[in-house]
Amino acid sequence: MRKINRPHNRQVPRPPKILKQCSFCFCSARKSFAFLLILVFFLSFPSFVFSQEKNPSKYGGQLVLATTSDPRSFNPIVAQETSTTAITSHIFEGLTRTNGVTLKVEPHLAQSWDISPDGLLWTFHLRSGVVWSDGVSFSADDVVFTFNDLIYNEKIPTSARDAFTIDGKIFKVEKIDDLTVKFTLPFKFAPFLRGMSQEILPKHRLERIVQENKFNFALGIDSDLKDIVGTGPYQLTEYLPGQRIILKKNHLYWRKSLEGEQLPFIEKIIYMIVQSQDTLLLKFLDGEVDYCSLRGADYPLLKPEEKKKNFTIYDSGPDFGSNFIVFNQNDGINPKTKKMFVDPKKLSWFANREFRRAVAHAIDKKRIIDIVMNGLGYPQDSAESPSAEFFYNPKVIGYDYDLAKAREILEKSGFTDRNGDGIVEDKNGYRVEFNLYTNSGSTDRVQMAAMIRHDLENLGMKVNLVSIEFNDLVSRLVSTYDWDAVMIGLTGGIEPHFGKNVWASDGQLHVWYPRQEQPQSAWEKRVDDIFNQAVQELDEPKRKVLYDEWQLIVSRELPAIYTVFGANIFAVRNKFENLHPTSFGGAFHNLEEIFIKEEYR
Amino acid sequence: MLKYIFRRILISIPLLLGISFLTFVLIQVTPGNFFDSLKLNPQVSPETIARYEALYHLDKPLLQQYFYWLKNLIKLDFGYSFFYNCPVSSVISGRLFNTFILSLASLIVTWTIAIPLGIWAAVHRNRLTDKILSVFSFAGLSMPSFFLAMLLLFLASQWGGLPLGGMRSANFDDLSDGGKIIDLLAHLVIPTIVISLASIASLQRIMRGNMLECLRQQYVLTARAKGLPEHRVVYVHALRNAVNPLITIFGYHLFDLLSGAALIEIICSWPGLGAVMLTAVRAKDLYLVMASMMMGAVLLLLGNLLSDILLAWSDPRVRYD
Repeated sequence: MRKINRPHNRQVPRPPKILKQCSFCFCSARKSFAFLLILVFFLSFPSFVFSQEKNPSKYGGQLVLATTSDPRSFNPIVAQETSTTAITSHIFEGLTRTNGVTLKVEPHLAQSWDISPDGLLWTFHLRSGVVWSDGVSFSADDVVFTFNDLIYNEKIPTSARDAFTIDGKIFKVEKIDDLTVKFTLPFKFAPFLRGMSQEILPKHRLERIVQENKFNFALGIDSDLKDIVGTGPYQLTEYLPGQRIILKKNHLYWRKSLEGEQLPFIEKIIYMIVQSQDTLLLKFLDGEVDYCSLRGADYPLLKPEEKKKNFTIYDSGPDFGSNFIVFNQNDGINPKTKKMFVDPKKLSWFANREFRRAVAHAIDKKRIIDIVMNGLGYPQDSAESPSAEFFYNPKVIGYDYDLAKAREILEKSGFTDRNGDGIVEDKNGYRVEFNLYTNSGSTDRVQMAAMIRHDLENLGMKVNLVSIEFNDLVSRLVSTYDWDAVMIGLTGGIEPHFGKNVWASDGQLHVWYPRQEQPQSAWEKRVDDIFNQAVQELDEPKRKVLYDEWQLIVSRELPAIYTVFGANIFAVRNKFENLHPTSFGGAFHNLEEIFIKEEYR
Repeated sequence: MLKYIFRRILISIPLLLGISFLTFVLIQVTPGNFFDSLKLNPQVSPETIARYEALYHLDKPLLQQYFYWLKNLIKLDFGYSFFYNCPVSSVISGRLFNTFILSLASLIVTWTIAIPLGIWAAVHRNRLTDKILSVFSFAGLSMPSFFLAMLLLFLASQWGGLPLGGMRSANFDDLSDGGKIIDLLAHLVIPTIVISLASIASLQRIMRGNMLECLRQQYVLTARAKGLPEHRVVYVHALRNAVNPLITIFGYHLFDLLSGAALIEIICSWPGLGAVMLTAVRAKDLYLVMASMMMGAVLLLLGNLLSDILLAWSDPRVRYD
């Protein structure tokens, strides 16, 4: 057996790109006053509660955050959208976790793990001394329970089950002893370790609830907060719907800093529920909230206030969410109407790679960034975000804005304006006119789509912009296939395999032509092979070679024409130490280790 | 009268059934359901979505779903919210009071300001005050409320004094009882002003119009001719007649009490029902939408009934038996 045992340390973080160097300036009078106060405090209570904690100077204070919507549940198995995970990530933990700076998988509730030579048996050695916030010890039983009774429970709908199922086969999870768990995988599965960040839930609390078949609505927002028990650094203490959520430090938390200090340092986290981003900006400027993520348009408003209101704006680089245009290449026949899903003349354009190449060259990405994102964005060429770092391939084919070239490509494929009406016709004389759909809920995307329509009109195409409700758009994309072109966005992550449903030719989200029985083209066949091969490849550099090829193929074949990434920008009040913001983790991915400067506690 | 009320309540039962059925069908015939949003998540399989749909009976035929809902409704079970993973009743009950407080405050402010203003404007027709009030009404009617809300919040952030949205301060629990009331009132100021302003403007115009109409009547001339003091002419003879249409409007305003003002709630971070219902409709959170529709329908019917009763009390010509 090969043994992988990584010490629990953190690599030296790279400083994130900061828009402007911050200056921590406090007037000296205030500083000395704060010092005096603290001095008085210690003189009057010489043996204060800090005595058990090694370094009293770091503890205490509160972090005030804001969220735009209420959590939908406190149950990390049933609900997984960001409004929920923002809260549950402080309460529940997984066996591993992804380091917010290095993006590498590191041990968490598991201290180390062994892997059999064939890559199918994984043995996790759990950390000893971990207790649930109600004082009961954490053990292998909890891990086995979380997988066998929750995730693999037929009666519980959860997407976690999809993450731990390969080709319809589930993993076998067994307890070896109190601190050892064995996972037997049906196939080699490279993203396994990253996936093991899956939150573990307490068996002693939930066993009966599962037996009574009530788990789907357990740990909901209407439950008693004392029943929400995790191993994480914080515990829920208050939830007022539509107003705020308060989490307090879990004094039984297992983690210690490198210097041996008990973590976390910050005593209390308050989430204010503020639905309107504009109101949030006012609250941030007013000092009520410590953190605010910014839209491009907010930047010029906040930047001049940076010094006066004592905060720093960080640009942590490109976002993970992509925005792209897809043309409907589905040549299937609608079983109800007996007609083709896509008008055959349009299909001949959309299926033509040269047509898509011309479109890619006609999109002025820089203008989109300047206008929609106030200059705070990045042109996108690859299917992966540059923020994914390791798996990102910077050497894909780029499509610069070049209208002349786009025209030339179109003309070569027989698209010219034959009757002088300003709109190009194809070889058969049909006017190139199509509908571009987008969802009306996202104003940024509607604006981008409008600009792209303008760009394509410069190319001589007649584009009708149709913005519809999200649900309507989704049902067109995944079930009725009634659309020409669409501008959508998908959230992304570090692990390319989790996008398999988009890239595999039989995938439901293979938007341009979903659920193919046989790959329709040679390159789609190759991409299928790449994904099947890469998921079994446990050697990371070899995996990278495969995913690099996939990104190259996509940039050549252009099933999706990428546009721009937003920049992940946020403003943080200058009251924290040990902050290492990244695009993946945001400002507070290392929250337990962050502490508040004395004068702000 | 009692017989009349009883009959009205009896009639409203089939009416409510009709409304509920129509709402249910209308929500369902639009394309997609709540779980469609999961379909654009690459990490969720169609089987998982089918499991979610089965959990909430969305895989059954429409009519069966409706009767299932109706059966539970009789047991006062409003079903589960897909969005919040918990019973609809607990989603609503957590916010009902907040919405009620805000609506009540704006109802009181609106009526206590608009009615006297309308009377004043009618009595002092075409004088400077009337003209100022007209300008104010048009401004109030044409100013978009979200803009006004944003403007007031901005001014509050510049000058201080008023909280920037929300319903309670962070230290609310530590305050004394009196402090709690003051804190709540301070938070109420901005949303109440915004909601009231537009209604004051329109209500004031209606009151003024009605009052002018009545002041032109011959019985007012008669009253003046027989030497009644002006205040009796205005407040007893004219007002009593001018107020009738407003009583009907009052009934409709009752419906607003629990429907909430989504836009203002969102901007002012007021934890009310309006914003929740707006999200529910957009996300097609079926049972939550149904509950809100039914609540609205019941209140509207009750408001109507109440205004009819009030009308009978205020106007001797109206009799229902």
